[in-house]
Amino acid sequence: MKIIGAGHIKDLCAGAAFLATGGGGDPYVSQLLAEQLLEKYGAATLISPEDLADDAFVVSIGMVGAPTVTLEQLPTEEEAIGALNKYEEITGKKIDAVIPFEVGGGNSTIPLFVAAIKGIPCVDGDGMGRALPEAQMMTFPIYGAKPTPAVIMDAFGNSELLECEDALTFEKEIRAKAVAMGGMISSAEHGMSGELVKRSAIPHTISFAVELGRLLRGHGGVIDAIQDDLFKLFAESDYGVIKHLFTGKVVDSERKIIGGYDVGTATLQGFGSTGSGGSNGARDNAETKMELLIKNEYLVAKIGDRVVASVPDLICVVEQETSRSLNAERMRYGQRVAVYGIGCTHHYRTPEALAVTEPRAFGFDLDYVPLEKISID
Amino acid sequence: MRIGIDVGGTHTDAVLMDGMDIVSSHKALTSSDVRQGIMEALDAVMLDAHVTATAIDAVMIGTTHFTNAVIERKELCPTAIIRACLPTGSGLPPKCDWPEDIAAALGDHRHMIGGGHLFNGKEIAPLDERALDLAIDDIVQKGIKSIAVAAAFSPANADHELAIAKYLSQRIPDANITVSHEIGRLGILERENAALLNAALGKLAHRVVSNMQAALGERKIHCSFYVSQNDGTLMSADYIARYPALTFSSGPTNSLRGAAILSGIADAIVVDIGGTTVDVGVLAKGFPRESNSHIDVGGVRTNFRMPDILPIGLGGGSLVTENGNRLGPQSVGHRLVKEGLVFGGSTLTATDIAVANGSADVGDVSRVADLDPALIERATVTMHQMIDDAVDKMRPSEEPVPVILVGGGAILVSRELSTASEVIHPEHAGVANAIGAAIAQVGGEVEHIVSYAKINRDDALAAATEEARHKAMAAGADPDTLRVLDMEETTMSYMDDDAARIRIKVVGDLKQTP
Repeated sequence: MKIIGAGHIKDLCAGAAFLATGGGGDPYVSQLLAEQLLEKYGAATLISPEDLADDAFVVSIGMVGAPTVTLEQLPTEEEAIGALNKYEEITGKKIDAVIPFEVGGGNSTIPLFVAAIKGIPCVDGDGMGRALPEAQMMTFPIYGAKPTPAVIMDAFGNSELLECEDALTFEKEIRAKAVAMGGMISSAEHGMSGELVKRSAIPHTISFAVELGRLLRGHGGVIDAIQDDLFKLFAESDYGVIKHLFTGKVVDSERKIIGGYDVGTATLQGFGSTGSGGSNGARDNAETKMELLIKNEYLVAKIGDRVVASVPDLICVVEQETSRSLNAERMRYGQRVAVYGIGCTHHYRTPEALAVTEPRAFGFDLDYVPLEKISID
Repeated sequence: MRIGIDVGGTHTDAVLMDGMDIVSSHKALTSSDVRQGIMEALDAVMLDAHVTATAIDAVMIGTTHFTNAVIERKELCPTAIIRACLPTGSGLPPKCDWPEDIAAALGDHRHMIGGGHLFNGKEIAPLDERALDLAIDDIVQKGIKSIAVAAAFSPANADHELAIAKYLSQRIPDANITVSHEIGRLGILERENAALLNAALGKLAHRVVSNMQAALGERKIHCSFYVSQNDGTLMSADYIARYPALTFSSGPTNSLRGAAILSGIADAIVVDIGGTTVDVGVLAKGFPRESNSHIDVGGVRTNFRMPDILPIGLGGGSLVTENGNRLGPQSVGHRLVKEGLVFGGSTLTATDIAVANGSADVGDVSRVADLDPALIERATVTMHQMIDDAVDKMRPSEEPVPVILVGGGAILVSRELSTASEVIHPEHAGVANAIGAAIAQVGGEVEHIVSYAKINRDDALAAATEEARHKAMAAGADPDTLRVLDMEETTMSYMDDDAARIRIKVVGDLKQTP
């Protein structure tokens, strides 16, 4: 078992911001809240999925809504704790551990302070290994967990019990509730046995994010200087594959809200330099442009007409000069960025997982080709 | 003609300009007396050029008074904050992430009351007037006059902030109130931080501005008087007395703009070497590249838009230690002219090394004649390496870039930098900040909340731009020189109302008086 204390939170959030693939909002508010609460209640205990008893009862907890809302409507611990307590009250089941929806973004910290306050462990793993916009894209329902019963609670302490037939219906329901209840709610959902967690959760992502964040934050300079360490870290993890896709400047970023999603395209232009040494070919030629197609997250990366990475593989963008991860909402003209493609774990490579997370699931008319099968140069 | 004056922590620079030509310039140690310092600067540049007060069309002043007050935690008033947000936000009260010393300097006078708005403009809760009354009772009882007011989503709906401010000014008529929506952007923690710092600087701001006015009055200069702000544009004196926090980054901005004018190069890295620090910034098309991230001012997180500056602890007064392998971050600062070896002191500084290696000619060179040549060489290599590393972190790519050296400590650099395509030592580099202030432009800014379901994006942007142009012209801009400096569009994901907040800033040259 590992311990996550207030002192680990900045690293966790830096790693989570990288794995958020452009989504997840500004992690500062959730970082600050987690630091304050872990300081007050003590460190949280992390338990690896393989160490869970098969009959343990695990519930996923996190926030649902518009991340921008939390910049103004600051969250407290009360919504998440309230939702979890209500969940136990309604189902009559004692919760043995909590697990994050997604490691990417602010939702990685909520189960940690909930675990610390409740005195139960938090599972070292999550249901996405990244950030994705919708509930049916989580590995929990893909591999058999039922999203409901779910208990949601808003900032005013109002709670509701949701009962839905399937994950897609649940997603529509909870999204509408989030908008109606002020833009941001906490949700306790996807009650699972320890055995199901072992089958469905992407393991060790929380401790991985801490390590990743330590590398990125500890450096803080030009990303090229730590690229070898970054590659080694991912190569030795469950993700396995990592590629440098492009380095360049943002020359356009147009966004629009469609159906509640932040949809748009960002265009990057190469500097025409050699970057980290060696031949980078199309990756930073001044003549080439990269297009990032965005729907909350970076979902498709193209060089010219060629797709070089697509969801569910991860497309991660950092500011080249500082190694800080760049949220899609903050992308703007003139920023110098480096783009990395990271292979999703095997959980997303099955037909049932791809059915809900491949590019077509987001309305892009193209087939998913695994990152490692695409040649860039 | 116009006069630019930059009052820095160590030096006060002044320059008299006729159009883009530098008529005269002056550099002196900053006086602790603002009025005296400005008068001396005015006298120096005007006497030098035999110019009388009536020939001056405008005076522009850049000042680090307010930044330094925050960094040094000096001259900050006890300041209260009233935040309307409950029942949300109780987990992260105002100032919860402030360093202890500055939190203490403002005092613990924090009030959270019911109120504020949701993302959709509806109330979180009605403004809790009873709680507001109790908060004001406490503020009155403590005798606090500086008050910051914040409310959730006030950039979208400022009603509660305005109502609180109105009620406050009724109950405390001499209160100095800063409402957050006038000074910051989305992000209540950063916005209320900005409002708190601004309110805490209120007294100092009034004193500094009236001293500046007094100095101009005594020299019979009755033209327009401006102060430069973060983005390189000017604001009028009465405006700065109300919004001192908007000057926080004007020093680096002025130095970058000045460097562009002096060198005639629009895309470069600017290395501004002072007495204690080197500030490395990036010029893109003649303007500072702005930072993408939140900016700490004295350890307090804010969301002002400021130039992206990398400061390193090296300057003319830096102490040389470890046999020349280490310079700074300790510095004798403005005491260099007393404590440096070449000035008759006993402290080995970066300036002494520059004199000893022959790149600078200040003070008494015989006083460094006995220094170990190996030490001189090591220290010279160390300081060039420090600057090279900083340039490398800031340059846009691996490609060598032009590096422009400005500031009083520019004499430290005498060798090539591996990161630089060329190293430029422009003439008048010591007064780049004052030149940046003198050529600063006037801006106009507009913020609209629009629904793209009702108006198309291009029309919305065009309408906002037109309004910003009018504001800039009203502030004195020449319409022919106006250009869009900044366009920001904030959309809210997961909210199906297709709403966006657009903020447009245009800038142009000050219209020449006929």
